[in-house]
Amino acid sequence: MSQDKHLPAPDVAELDLTLSVEAYLPQRWDRATQVGIRPTRLLTERPWVRSLGRLDMHVKTEGWRFPTPPSDEPASRQGDSGQQGQETRAERCEGESCGLSPPLPLSPSPYLSAVNLRLRPTKDTVVLKERLLYLLQPPLESCLASKQVRLPLRPYPYQMEGIAFLMPRHAALLADEMGLGKTAQAVLALRLLFHAGLVRRSLIVCPKPLVSNWARELRLWADDLPFEVVGGDAQERSSCWLVSNCPLKLVNYELLTRDAALLADERIAFDVVILDEAQRIKNRDAKTAQVVRGIRRERSWALTGTPIENKPEDLVNLFAFVDPGRIPPDTPAKRLPHLTGDCILRRTKDDVLTDLPAKTIRDAYLELTPAQRQSYALAENEGVVHLNSLGETITIQHVFELVMRLKQICNFDPLTGHSAKLERLLADLTEIAESGRKALVFSQWVQPLEILAGALEPFGPLQFHGRIPDRERQTVLERFRSDSSKHVLLMSYGAGSVGLNLQFTNYVFLFDRWWNPAVEDQAINRAHRIGQRQPVFVTRFVTQETIEGRIAEVLDRKRQLFNELLEQNSPPPSLGLTEEEIFGLFDLQVRPKRCAA
Amino acid sequence: MTQTPAPRTQGLGFLTILHEDNGYMGGYLVTNFWSRPVEFRLSTAVQPNRIHQILYGGTLQSYICADLIGKTLIEKTTAAVQAIFTDCESVLDLRLQLDVPVVCLPSDGSTAPASSSDPAASRKWPLRCHSRFPGDVAAVQAMLDGVDGSLDLAEPFVRIREAMSEARKLGAMSRN
Repeated sequence: MSQDKHLPAPDVAELDLTLSVEAYLPQRWDRATQVGIRPTRLLTERPWVRSLGRLDMHVKTEGWRFPTPPSDEPASRQGDSGQQGQETRAERCEGESCGLSPPLPLSPSPYLSAVNLRLRPTKDTVVLKERLLYLLQPPLESCLASKQVRLPLRPYPYQMEGIAFLMPRHAALLADEMGLGKTAQAVLALRLLFHAGLVRRSLIVCPKPLVSNWARELRLWADDLPFEVVGGDAQERSSCWLVSNCPLKLVNYELLTRDAALLADERIAFDVVILDEAQRIKNRDAKTAQVVRGIRRERSWALTGTPIENKPEDLVNLFAFVDPGRIPPDTPAKRLPHLTGDCILRRTKDDVLTDLPAKTIRDAYLELTPAQRQSYALAENEGVVHLNSLGETITIQHVFELVMRLKQICNFDPLTGHSAKLERLLADLTEIAESGRKALVFSQWVQPLEILAGALEPFGPLQFHGRIPDRERQTVLERFRSDSSKHVLLMSYGAGSVGLNLQFTNYVFLFDRWWNPAVEDQAINRAHRIGQRQPVFVTRFVTQETIEGRIAEVLDRKRQLFNELLEQNSPPPSLGLTEEEIFGLFDLQVRPKRCAA
Repeated sequence: MTQTPAPRTQGLGFLTILHEDNGYMGGYLVTNFWSRPVEFRLSTAVQPNRIHQILYGGTLQSYICADLIGKTLIEKTTAAVQAIFTDCESVLDLRLQLDVPVVCLPSDGSTAPASSSDPAASRKWPLRCHSRFPGDVAAVQAMLDGVDGSLDLAEPFVRIREAMSEARKLGAMSRN
């Protein structure tokens, strides 16, 4: 308390708390008051509306109507044509034996039921309607499984692919190896096109010996497809071409060529023309080729296992029918695969028939008998001397004559009839006959076949070659198939190398060699084809130190080149012997001034 | 040429609606009773905007698929059909405007009839129909009994979609 007494006194300040007030006159206070007027809309008028745009939606459509399948056509129209066709077929095919080969077995391969194989338009199909037409076709499996298409057998998967290849194509070359069933694929493709209403008139052209084979295949694979075989005298054929409504005609090349004048009639036109063994038109200037190319048609299908027999021009000439204009003139061979690739389908047995029994080819190198050797040496020496004496006038025909002469001696000695090949053949056939099997023997000449027929009498030989009348050929084949005492069929390459189904035989002998390996393959494949259940053994007779051995060497090289062409898209080689190669068979000192082609 | 008699002159209609970025697009295929194409028609794409979505609400899809696209496609198609199959539920309302049965298949195919040794069983598809027409399924099943048993009702939709894709690639429906 004593410290409080020493604090200083606080400062006192005086504050002015008076408020000053100022009064101002408002700026507009001195102006006169005004009254404003604004019009206002009454509710008697429509309210203002903002548009949100069009609320209705529009749709446009585009549509395509496709050809009417025959099954949907009025009954009267369908019945008319069908009835006519059936009657015609019955008349034409009556008396033909069509049991050429046993029914093909059910394929052990799966029926592609899990895979929907669909048709695809080709690359060069540009019209939308056509593209849609194929895209909208049902899967092949469902087509073939339907009640509408009754099949006796299941096609192999690769055959289904072949059908899918053919159907959308207007230009197609089916070049499957022999024995893979090109005929069946073509028939089924054709049948499905008929069912789809895409085809109404078609023509099949085949070699004469194969007409009955085609008739059989048509009955087997397309029993609902009426067909007629063009035949008879000129008046009958004229009626067949011009009057008949049968949707499918079958004709051989010879008759077709004979009826060239008729075919010029504008009323004759086809939706599809199928050429079987189409290598028949490889010569562009031949009458047959010209007539075939002149047929009015929408689709051109060619079937051949040997699209190139000798040279690239074979393929070019085939395409003159398949798709004229696809291959421009003077196209280099190396461009052919590029130009034709989309139109060609080729499969080999190795590709697709992994379950086909093996084919064993063995060359039997034989020593000529002494008599043959003597005749051969004499003929060759004299022949070479003669050729050399011709000097520059020598032609390939001169060389050819000598080759043929020597080859004939290799078969049989002209003086004694001795034959090393026959001796070997007798030994082999004895074994074959004892096992109850059958064999085919091929030669390029008829004469050796006739000699063999006598020598092979114990084996019940039958002959099938150019001297056997056409009307008897079918009977020969049927006897060979059904008669267990007939163990050997003697065939010429020309008559028996194409189209025949002889898969009930297991042995093939090439008594002499053909000039072209493709023709030999055709012959061998009479036995080694679909339906064959046993291994096939092919024996090629080659006499040692003769012209045969030299030719065989050249042909083997050719065969290798052939495989390269179609499997690797390399430039096509020449398969037959060239002029240079034929001259090279002999050690000639001379060469022609100008060789014939 | 046929062995098995089948109804003539009329076929089966298969209608599908694709809903993609550019809108709804319809495809209609008429086949005969062997499943072969007789006529095909497709529509332009219909793209509803936000206003449509608000205004049509839950009925929008049905309106577009049935009333707009489906009806137009069928009216423009000349081939007559005995029944229309669709894999799009929204199309069922089309039945309200047509005199032929309209039935819907499961779009995923998961309930398609398994292949069976019994042909009758193989035809029993799990079909659905419009609630106002409960007899449609039975009618269609009865009709199918007279048709090839191998007929796969789901398969044509694969073809239609492929054809629509092809048409779009080639510029169809964008030419006008």
